[in-house]
Amino acid sequence: MNGSRSIRSGVQDNDRTMDLDTVKQRARPREFSPKDDMPEEYRKAATRMIQFHANSEIMGAYLERPFIREAPSLERKLAYSAKVQDELGHGQLLYRAAESLGIKSRDQMLDELANGEGKFLNCFHYPMDSWVEVPMIAFFVDGAAMRRQATLRRSSWEPYAHAMDKVCFEEGFHIKHGESILAELASGSQKEQEMVQDAFEEWWPRIIQFFGPTDDDSTHHDFAAEVGLKQMTNDGLRQAFLNSYVPKAKEYGLEIPDTPTIEHDEELNTYEIAEDELDWDEFFTIAKNDLDSGKEQINARKQAQDAVAWVREGLDEDETATGGHAPQAAD
Amino acid sequence: MIWEVFRQEQSGEYHTHCGNVHAPDRDMALMFAQIQHARRKPTHSLWVAPAEEISEVDESEASFGGTTNKAYRWATSYNIEPVAEEVADSENEQAEAERARGEN
Repeated sequence: MNGSRSIRSGVQDNDRTMDLDTVKQRARPREFSPKDDMPEEYRKAATRMIQFHANSEIMGAYLERPFIREAPSLERKLAYSAKVQDELGHGQLLYRAAESLGIKSRDQMLDELANGEGKFLNCFHYPMDSWVEVPMIAFFVDGAAMRRQATLRRSSWEPYAHAMDKVCFEEGFHIKHGESILAELASGSQKEQEMVQDAFEEWWPRIIQFFGPTDDDSTHHDFAAEVGLKQMTNDGLRQAFLNSYVPKAKEYGLEIPDTPTIEHDEELNTYEIAEDELDWDEFFTIAKNDLDSGKEQINARKQAQDAVAWVREGLDEDETATGGHAPQAAD
Repeated sequence: MIWEVFRQEQSGEYHTHCGNVHAPDRDMALMFAQIQHARRKPTHSLWVAPAEEISEVDESEASFGGTTNKAYRWATSYNIEPVAEEVADSENEQAEAERARGEN
């Protein structure tokens, strides 16, 4: 028996910090948790990855939110607002998983998102103008994200894997609801079908770029894979996504745009993408938070945050008055 | 002194409350927990916590969710074949939760 041991949060203790070789050797699904003294390289890499993920959940929800009132029926409105609420909850879960690494606090990460330093998914830097774009996010982008998230349930940072359990539990509803909207529009009037095709053509290259540049150009992959934070390469994820979603798009009568060129190897069932036909300048402009529409999204969220500051302050006062025992908001 | 005991069957799983032990201190509580709760069941790890450190809120004080009909929230409500393996997995987990709630 090794006596009592308390669960510590990611506080650095130089004598007992795990060295990188040990981390790489032990890297397995859910292997590390706040009771391990992880080296700074690991904690920084994990923070970068989870913070990006959390920011993306929040920014995606803000992009979708205005369309709750555009929903064509009461059922759609209930389901769609539940979905948007879920995404904000995922963001909060993920900030907690990132916070447990001891590098940044949740407030710090939210401040970084507000002041334009926080990075997030390429797709959420573009504006959305119409309800027909909803399934582009709620089916294709969410579908791509879920493919990735399903593999992250095997991440070596246990709090991240635990957050993915709840996220994946809920995402099945999101994807099927998104597909249900797509199915309805794709079998609607001629006008609706044309609008869906237009939206698809606009969003398709962005969706392909969701998984980032080819593995050779991905800066952070090697280390994240070596220490088990990440379980699959960008390219592997993109293949799996295309395998499921290209046939689906065709089933709903959508024509896959000519750019980028995609070659399907029917024997191997793999897809070869002419990646150099995609706009990587725009992608890397987005990666610096420099695309105009992305800046608008960031500022719009900041304004919404400022507008409800009085609610947060009210809650803080309530908590202070009750000595910190006020009920916490549920996830 | 009463200590609540939480047992984890396999690495990476959640610790689940499995009962309590009487012990004068933390080390003794850990030892009794092993004897009482981990001798006959597969166990990867045990937690003990002083019973008075556990806080509770129950249905008489709070209105918990899960009682209104929110069928629209479940993947099983949408008459569509899951597009991918991970979507099917999620739907199965939801169906499992639905059964556990006694709704199906």
